[in-house]
Amino acid sequence: MNTPALLQAIANGERSAREVCEAAIEQIGATDSQANAFTERTFARARAEADAIDGRRAGGEPLPPLAGLPYAVKNLFDIEGVTTLAGSRINRELPPAARDAVLVQRLQSAGAVLLGALNMDEYAYGFTTENSHYGPCRNPHDPSRICGGSSGGSGAAVAARQVPLALGSDTNGSIRVPASLCGVWGLKPTFGRLSRRGSYPFVHSLDHLGPLADSVETMALAYDAMQGPDPLDPGCHALGVQPVGGVLGAGVAGLRIGVLGGYFSELATPAARDAVAQAAQALRAHAPVQEGVAWPDAGLARAAAFVITASEGGSLHLADLRTRPHEFEPHSVDRFIAGALQPADWSLRAHRFRRMYRDKVNALFQEWDLLLCAATPVSAPAIGTEWLEINGQRHPCRPAMGLLTQPISFAGCPVVVAPMWPAGSALPLGVQLVAAPWREDLCLRAALALQQAGVAHL
Amino acid sequence: MSDEDVLAYVQAAAKAMALPMDEARARAVALHFGRTVAIARALDAVPLAPDQEPAEIFRPAPFRAMEPRA
Repeated sequence: MNTPALLQAIANGERSAREVCEAAIEQIGATDSQANAFTERTFARARAEADAIDGRRAGGEPLPPLAGLPYAVKNLFDIEGVTTLAGSRINRELPPAARDAVLVQRLQSAGAVLLGALNMDEYAYGFTTENSHYGPCRNPHDPSRICGGSSGGSGAAVAARQVPLALGSDTNGSIRVPASLCGVWGLKPTFGRLSRRGSYPFVHSLDHLGPLADSVETMALAYDAMQGPDPLDPGCHALGVQPVGGVLGAGVAGLRIGVLGGYFSELATPAARDAVAQAAQALRAHAPVQEGVAWPDAGLARAAAFVITASEGGSLHLADLRTRPHEFEPHSVDRFIAGALQPADWSLRAHRFRRMYRDKVNALFQEWDLLLCAATPVSAPAIGTEWLEINGQRHPCRPAMGLLTQPISFAGCPVVVAPMWPAGSALPLGVQLVAAPWREDLCLRAALALQQAGVAHL
Repeated sequence: MSDEDVLAYVQAAAKAMALPMDEARARAVALHFGRTVAIARALDAVPLAPDQEPAEIFRPAPFRAMEPRA
């Protein structure tokens, strides 16, 4: 039973929310010793939330849109009564969160049932979820391989069918990389669309939150439930709600669709290019798709995102880096320190460049409605991989996983990652469906077209 | 910038930032810092006019229409 049908069955009383919750708990028990997605299990809360849904139905109340839907969140989201680890050992000393993060509150209001918190790279500084404190997250398609990161637990939990929905964060690609490597749907909304309040930050000027899910419909329902202004989050720019549920099935006919060339083609392996070609071919049944569209200044944007990330991330943790560096994740502590030592000019220039870059990207979207490119250069590498070769060039593996995502999030554009399956590969590789800021609806319409064509799926 | 120059910068900047660091840590940090130097060089070459401001600007309070003052 797919998730929309499951929600319908709960609403009709054919299945109880408690029964669905227990099935998720059983699946987590059966698969998590391998996947290592969960770092905290909130099963008592989940059962109480599920029972409350069943009680409301029994009392004749209309149910909210996600009633009974099991989900879990990256462990940088506050959960009332649980310490927010953000993948770290140091944060274990923090008191339990006094209240849920805003997005968790909104999902609870929509009837979703929270099963727990999920593994991630420490303080979100990584693309692999090879977490030394809590163990590496293992890819459900091949446990010797990474899940991507930093929301690796979120990707793994959906791919292992533990939950149909997980929340993640994306600063430079941390929703899109695990969605790509685990073969699940992912949505990084426009920068400023969803409130980040109650989540542990990484880079204030680049952090986004969003869903990973088992279907386009699940992702869209969750996205709509999480929308809403938040004047208390200085990075939340949305002043109203723009639901996508009503337009999801509008199709892509009439849209101006292109495939990104240049930087995005040069840094994609043949498998990644094949995934993009499959998506383009499927969309071509409804609209013309032009190859070789040039995205402005992609390499410079990646450089600027890299510099800002290192500087803000290093500054955020400077006090602990001074006194207890040995308690940090060995994979990222030296990068945090290097970031803290950067000259101010680098970050200031990067921020000034960002404004000019934003204008160029927005000008590009005067000509296009939707642009496609791969989400990662490769499918999931083996855990512990240090170097990657991409079209004859050697790259350090961990940062290279974000090569294709960083330039896009730096412009703040909304992106859906579609789970594609390159020919001849048993491993998935996602395709980014990119639209102009505030046009998540276009990304999701194209996503549904790919899902209905049968080329993008778990 | 040579590897030794990068290492010297890292050690001096660490002192300025009150970040204690042994030789092994300094060399590991310098490896990452050296990569960022190369990345930052590309940005340094982008011409930016003086009026090209950062994208986000501090806001002291939400803007309100002028109200008559007593």
